[in-house]
Amino acid sequence: MTTPRVAAAGASVLALLTATACGGGGGGAAADEDMHVWMYQDTLVVVQEAAVERFNEESDVQAVIDEVPGDNYEERLRTAMGSSEQPDVFFNWGAGSIQPYVEQDMLMPLDDLLAEDTELADAFIPSILEAGEVDGVQYGIPLRGTQPVILFYNEAVFEDVGVEPPQTWEDILDLVDAFDEAGVTPFALAGADPWTEQMWLQYLVDRIGGPEVFQRIHEGDMEGWRDPAVLEAAETVRDLVERGAFGDAYASVSYTEGGASTLLSEGRAAMHLMGSWEYSTHLDQDRDFAEDDLGYTVFPPVPGGEGDPANVVGNPTNFFSVTADTAHPDQAQEFLRYTSQEEYVADMVANGEVPTTTNAEEAVADSPNPEFATFQYEMVRDAPHFQLSWDQALPPETATPMVTEIESLFNGQSTPEQFVDALAAL
Amino acid sequence: MSTTTTRPRGTASAVRPRRSWPNGSRRRPNLLAGAGSLLWLAVVGVPLYALLVATFQRSENYTSEGPLAPPSDPTLDNYATAIENGLLGFVLNTAVVTLAVVAIVVALSATAGYAVVRSRTRWTHGVFRAFLLGLAIPSQAVIIPVYLIIVEMGLYDSLTAIVLPTAAFALPVCMLILVGSMRDISEELYEAMALDGAGSVRTFLQLVVPLSRPGLSTVAVYSALQAWNGFLFPLILTQSHDKRLITMGLFEFQGEYRVDVPGLLTAVVLSTVPLFIVYLVARRSLVAGLMGVGGK
Amino acid sequence: MRALPQNRPARSGSAPAAPAPSSPRRARSVRQVGRPGGAWALPALLYFGMFAALPMVLVAYLSLTSWGGLGSPRFVGLENWSRLAGDPVMHNAVWLSLVLTVLNWIVQTPIALLLGVWAAGPQRNRAVLSAIFFLPLLLSSAAIAIIWRAMLDPNFGPLAWLGPRLGLGSVDVLGGSTSAFAAIVFVTAWQFIPLHMLLYQGGARQIPASLYEAARIDGAGMLSSFWHITLPQLRHTITTSSVLMVVGSLTYFDTVLILTGGGPGTDTTIVPFLMYRAGFRSWELGYASAIAFTLVVVATVIALLLVRFTGFGTMRSTREGM
Repeated sequence: MTTPRVAAAGASVLALLTATACGGGGGGAAADEDMHVWMYQDTLVVVQEAAVERFNEESDVQAVIDEVPGDNYEERLRTAMGSSEQPDVFFNWGAGSIQPYVEQDMLMPLDDLLAEDTELADAFIPSILEAGEVDGVQYGIPLRGTQPVILFYNEAVFEDVGVEPPQTWEDILDLVDAFDEAGVTPFALAGADPWTEQMWLQYLVDRIGGPEVFQRIHEGDMEGWRDPAVLEAAETVRDLVERGAFGDAYASVSYTEGGASTLLSEGRAAMHLMGSWEYSTHLDQDRDFAEDDLGYTVFPPVPGGEGDPANVVGNPTNFFSVTADTAHPDQAQEFLRYTSQEEYVADMVANGEVPTTTNAEEAVADSPNPEFATFQYEMVRDAPHFQLSWDQALPPETATPMVTEIESLFNGQSTPEQFVDALAAL
Repeated sequence: MSTTTTRPRGTASAVRPRRSWPNGSRRRPNLLAGAGSLLWLAVVGVPLYALLVATFQRSENYTSEGPLAPPSDPTLDNYATAIENGLLGFVLNTAVVTLAVVAIVVALSATAGYAVVRSRTRWTHGVFRAFLLGLAIPSQAVIIPVYLIIVEMGLYDSLTAIVLPTAAFALPVCMLILVGSMRDISEELYEAMALDGAGSVRTFLQLVVPLSRPGLSTVAVYSALQAWNGFLFPLILTQSHDKRLITMGLFEFQGEYRVDVPGLLTAVVLSTVPLFIVYLVARRSLVAGLMGVGGK
Repeated sequence: MRALPQNRPARSGSAPAAPAPSSPRRARSVRQVGRPGGAWALPALLYFGMFAALPMVLVAYLSLTSWGGLGSPRFVGLENWSRLAGDPVMHNAVWLSLVLTVLNWIVQTPIALLLGVWAAGPQRNRAVLSAIFFLPLLLSSAAIAIIWRAMLDPNFGPLAWLGPRLGLGSVDVLGGSTSAFAAIVFVTAWQFIPLHMLLYQGGARQIPASLYEAARIDGAGMLSSFWHITLPQLRHTITTSSVLMVVGSLTYFDTVLILTGGGPGTDTTIVPFLMYRAGFRSWELGYASAIAFTLVVVATVIALLLVRFTGFGTMRSTREGM
């Protein structure tokens, strides 16, 4: 590198730098013109994309979807919320996930919108709409279908091995042995995304001790982790792991990268405990499998358990919230109305979702798999209790280490007793 | 020993003409060293080969055909997909950030280095010491206050937000390199400039800059690599798609490509192309520059 | 061995004690001309102050606050620090960081040194091999971590093909505690050995051939030459390389995030990763700042110790002996 070259490069780069700095400012200005809608990146975003398209035809303010990769969604959202580059409308999990923003008065209350537009208010199942409230004030409008956690299985694999889907806990244990012998991993498990392991624990604690166990923890009493049901659930997890229920290569399998789902669709695993969106994922990634071989059933009861076997865990739905400082408050509220429109609901159904609107029962008839949609709809409708995912229910400073403890339990790095102690100490 | 009158034994250039080496005079080649280097060749070469092969492989054949066999049905689709996914935009952003960082670092470290070496002002001592203390501080450790400062400046989610702290944290090492390089300039040359009536600006431009060329190119290479590799600053300080740098882009492709390992690896390979071209064009400077990080 | 002694901070900027070649009187008058003022250092100083020094002060302050990234930090005194002292995850992270640092040094130094010395030699093929060895340096940490993550994927990577053929079944390297940690050591070695090899190659080229010739006349063998000439002559390169390595070991954040995400469990959660997790996952930015400040202090202490005890000071005598 000769000096003139260095100098020339320096000069040209300083010019570039100035340009970049301006570019940064320019980005901010552009943000004021467009309405930014943040979405968690997954295969279902097509529904919101279609809604944005319809919205933009009517509106002078153009909506833009910013897809944020799932792994980093909450981190990105919070760093952006702390800056002046906030989104106008954003995807969230309701209640606990928006609490910190509500505390800082960063969200727009939507009570007036619902009072004004009773059609919108009545469009959603009331108990689901309620999950979008914080301290009695509405901050979220449902944007997705219900997301109960379902036990999915690969029918072709069950046929090959000559077994039936599980009804009881004994069935589960027998199936583990049968699939192990057949050289198929009994359950796909995405150990690199420990929130998927959390689903097992949520169901087990609920089946063994009922919803009251987590309710106590949710209210802030960390001693609630010492409930015998938690210990028994943790012991059951260890028992499953030691029986080889998840194979021996689950710890680095990812869900967000599609690993666990692919193991199921390729028949390398027989079952997969996952949120109902798993169906849509397969519909997008491997349509033949989703339509022909994807089986589903409820999580079986645990012997001696106190919980109602009809209870469900998962996410009631996801919500759109509007930031208080948005430059387009009216347009943002207008956009929220699109979530109850006929086309929107039809798009959800076509992508395998079960909407949370009151007309869902009729709508699901048009589902690519009406049978699955009806199953899911009735499962949620008939559930005495729908437990929100623990990591969404608890504040992040507790949820983050909790999820890590769950991972350690599954990996055998801590015993059930150590697990309980660690959680109680959070 | 005087720092100003004694020229160090090595010339200012980091790449020196190959000199005779004792092994050269041996008749027997060093078998052990040869074997060791071949072993390392395997450690470096096999993964790189597997990486390249994978980019021509169809994702559905990837696990069945094995990582080393040439694809039975080679394809360029992976490259097309990676480009469609906006990889080139990420590369462009990264290039802009890299050039800006290099410009800032070269300008600031050269002027400050000159002051440290030649200035009579007392506190330039202190300046240099302050910079040296910064040598060991991992930039990760200050991401939280940097986030705070960037937000306060209204720069969140801009390329400038990445450039500013990245350049700041490259400064200490670059100062060290340049001060070393500038000390090699002999007192006589300065005196000649002075007798010529040159002021500090002319001395800087006509004497210091030309003679610290190797140092400057090391500084450029070092700061460019820092910027090119940056991960945490872009992760925390930007979010939108059009401000994405290549490291971030790859990180997020991990989620987007799902189990398409060949697709992901193709993005990795493509992301390296700009640096690879620089390497082909300016291999000597690059190697010399990196050697300089240690030597100076 | 080039100008390393000049790098010593103690020598910075001052007029040389040694006599200038010209007559003292003339030198004095000439020395006043063309000297830069302290203002030349100001831009760099202000810039560094704003984006590096100020953050270091701020991180110390933030460690005394409770802050969730929204609103303003709230002063809480030493609460974060007392919590940090009793946090088993932090203790583990410190331990893992130490182990990683030591292992990195043990693995990387001998390999880089031997390769560097070899590459400085005249062997045929050396240029070609050196060019290949250089290639990992063209990849970013993120790219390298992604490559290895893919290579080590038990279900969809090469291991899925290789494992069964070696009779190992599923090999889940990144899923096991020890193996995941080993993978980080290996991947960082793969990434950084080329750089250190270059440093050693540069260092070895500076060793005067006359030393070896003299040794050969004395009948010293290859090993003996290596031990008595190469190693002592490379001592400053070893110091530089070690400082870079040790300080670098405290910064392998991106590698950990991409390769293992700190897992399984917290078994690869080194201090910088824990800071990231506490800050940007748990949103306890005050607590994370306490971790960050610890990192700053540890890094500074290590660097100072290394510089002091491994001999920037002894360097001069080595050179003078040559």
